[in-house]
Amino acid sequence: MFDKEAFTLFKFAKKLNQSFQNRRELLDCALPALRDLFKLDRVYFFNWQQERALLSLNLMCKKEYCMDMQEDISVLGEPDFLKTLLRDGIADSTELNYPAVYVLLRWKKPNMILDGEEVRTVRKDSVGVLRLERFRRNRHFTEAEKKLIKSVAAEISHNLTNTEEDQAKNQRLNIATALNDLATIFASSLRLSDGLELILQGVQKYFRFDRVRLYQTNYDGTKIKSILGIDISGEVARQTGEDLPEDERTLLKEIFSSGATYRSINNVVYIPLKVQRKKVGFLTFDNLLSRRRIDYLDFISLKQFSSQIALAIDNASLFERVQELSNYDELTKLPVRRFFSEKFSEEIYRSKRFDLILSLIVLDIDLFKQINDTYGHQIGDWALKEVSRVIRTSLRQTDFPCRYGGDEMVIMLPRTNDEEAKIIAKRLKERINAIAIPDRYTDGQRVTLSISQGIASFPQDGRNAEELFEKADKALYWVKDGRRGTFAVYREVADQVEE
Amino acid sequence: MILWVMPDSGARTKTDYQKLVERFKKEHPSAQITVQVLTRNQLWKKVFTLKHPAAGEVIPDLIQIPHYWTALLTRSGVAENLSKLDPGLSLSSALAPLRAHCYKPGTKDLYSYPWWFDMSALHYRVDHLKFVTKNPEEELSTWEGLLDVCARLQEYFKEVDGYYPMQNGDWRGSLSTRSTFMEVWGRGADLFTPDLRDTLIHTPAFKQGVKDYIDLALKQYMPILRERGSLGTMISGKASMLLSRKQGLASFHGRGRSRVRTLPVPRTGQQPQAYLSGMNLMINTVGKDKETALEFIKWSSRADNQVKYASAMEVFPAFEDSFEQLIFSSSQRLQTYATILASARALPNITITGTVIELLNKILAVSATQIVEGRFTQASLDIELDKAAKETQYLLSLYEG
Repeated sequence: MFDKEAFTLFKFAKKLNQSFQNRRELLDCALPALRDLFKLDRVYFFNWQQERALLSLNLMCKKEYCMDMQEDISVLGEPDFLKTLLRDGIADSTELNYPAVYVLLRWKKPNMILDGEEVRTVRKDSVGVLRLERFRRNRHFTEAEKKLIKSVAAEISHNLTNTEEDQAKNQRLNIATALNDLATIFASSLRLSDGLELILQGVQKYFRFDRVRLYQTNYDGTKIKSILGIDISGEVARQTGEDLPEDERTLLKEIFSSGATYRSINNVVYIPLKVQRKKVGFLTFDNLLSRRRIDYLDFISLKQFSSQIALAIDNASLFERVQELSNYDELTKLPVRRFFSEKFSEEIYRSKRFDLILSLIVLDIDLFKQINDTYGHQIGDWALKEVSRVIRTSLRQTDFPCRYGGDEMVIMLPRTNDEEAKIIAKRLKERINAIAIPDRYTDGQRVTLSISQGIASFPQDGRNAEELFEKADKALYWVKDGRRGTFAVYREVADQVEE
Repeated sequence: MILWVMPDSGARTKTDYQKLVERFKKEHPSAQITVQVLTRNQLWKKVFTLKHPAAGEVIPDLIQIPHYWTALLTRSGVAENLSKLDPGLSLSSALAPLRAHCYKPGTKDLYSYPWWFDMSALHYRVDHLKFVTKNPEEELSTWEGLLDVCARLQEYFKEVDGYYPMQNGDWRGSLSTRSTFMEVWGRGADLFTPDLRDTLIHTPAFKQGVKDYIDLALKQYMPILRERGSLGTMISGKASMLLSRKQGLASFHGRGRSRVRTLPVPRTGQQPQAYLSGMNLMINTVGKDKETALEFIKWSSRADNQVKYASAMEVFPAFEDSFEQLIFSSSQRLQTYATILASARALPNITITGTVIELLNKILAVSATQIVEGRFTQASLDIELDKAAKETQYLLSLYEG
């Protein structure tokens, strides 16, 4: 015998028998089919916000088309309606003055949760409601129709479960692809700062956060060292920890120590970056401006990815320290000759390119061999340390000194002419003259240190690094020839040097 | 070209746009236009992801935006510089209050273009009000007067099942942030200080303004969170007044049952206040058909199209000539809007305005639920407004201008 209900259901199921990218796509297909099947004037799909006992309208489908719409209906004042709907899965509207029924949809939605370090999928119950309307008052829904509507709703629910499952899989796949892309970007970046910038831009692009920021901390994780941030405009901003407003610093420290990581209500995520329990910094992502909720799946994906970032930052910090050690002289803490030469060549190039001036001071400690022979190497080393300390603390930030070898030191003074170089030389001379060898080594006598300095300037005295150094060195030798403790500019003594 | 719009005409939005597009296509036969309707909530979320579209995602070319989103979308790099696309584009004939909302703050570059605007007003059924007041204009000039009239109407129509003195003007059937502005302004508060550096959401005047509006729901003068269609409406005779925009009022004419009059929104302070909400068009920086989008913008601003569109959507044209043409060819009732425009204010065009509205929307949504559940307290609302003020202040520190 022909089963009309089964045939109708079969036809309906056939319409839905396709792959939908998301819930909206499915509803765009299901609602018009429902409308045609039951000769409805309108069909609505509502989300059930259980915590607020609210039906929130998502989609309206009328004769010609479906359209997104919004409407909130409280079901609190309707206990009978609610009871019937939950018990029978279908209930008549108690307020509308034309035939309308509500029908319940129940489906499973996969959710990712972080269980320790493991990501697990749990399936949660989701509830939605359809409202079917007929505007003509005499076209009531018959019991047979209601029965069929429930069956159709069950079919839609079944499809919703499948679609949500597919959507979650696609979402995970997209995230995995995004993270893989990010890891590739990171791996191909030679410099850490470039790599981090690209990573943050990538995270913002793929996960579409309003702001992304990376806070790097010092070795013990107690102070914020720097911040690299990308705001909604996509612009990269760098900030040092010192410039942070006090309240923000306090807040971030609190978060760091409490380990708070996911604050969905505030649309902010904090992910500490740790390497073997050592805190190297943390990442924060926020949607403060858009107020969009940050998806938990995004959070756990980034949390897993963060270990790669943490490791890279830690490695880079170690590398920077090693590099720092190899670039600086251990005794004097001044840059070594090789490091200086690199910087000097760069600066000469820049000066030529932009027509800038530059000066160079070559200096050595007067009678250094005698100090070593008389008071021992310990005092010799002490003298070197003291002179270096004065040099380090007397120069401007742009000046670049180095220990060239033995007791010879060189100072590069970018954008400085010979007159300004003389002022610096004078300052060094005076400060170093004030250094006295501890009297326990000198039998109570006051023995002070002094330096001799030769100055040459770009471009007047030389147009390349070698020439400039040679001229400054010649001026130094002119000073050492009976004028120890003073300084001279090459050009001013050139006629006496070039015999 | 893909055009994103909001459901301004409710369920008939798509049909209205169909007609509009057909008219445009008569002059531009080669143009391919797809109209997609998004709710404001969806649009708000989507504009933040437009810059980085995922594979397969729809990329609109032209987008309808509330005028105060211009600064935000300019800052986020979503809005195209229209002055660059067409240096001849000008705002000289646009209505003065709408101009500032088209520029990137601090520049003379246009990033959005006025399309239409609307203003808040109070509409009432003459046949209902005559039962409770002899001088509705005077009584309805103040908020206290409005509440008083509501009380009398409630008493007079107590036998009418499902009757409320006020029809809910909020399209979601909930409490609406936009409806609080006039009361807040009347109380002397605002979202921000005049220099736009601080917020005033935490001030007693602001809280009082919000309370003025919420009172309508608390005293059950206005239904909230009920099924659309079941609510008291002025047309069905189950409501007598409506605080709303112009939209939706055309339906009063067709029925011929009752006469509706329009007045400025009752004042809570010394002066009447009106909320002006403009809708602009913005071209997406990553859109593929900017040429048609720009053509559409220019076509829409033409006086004849402005008048036609505004009439169809029941809104006001954004340009001086067409506005005057519409107002003075309309019924006497609508001419009230010329007066309302004089006191109308818009929200400031700064980056965070849209976000602050989102914050307030959430607070009012929670308040609406609490009212329905019978557990609303002014103290809890005040706490939420204080929190929103702190959040707003923080946002101001992050996104100045």
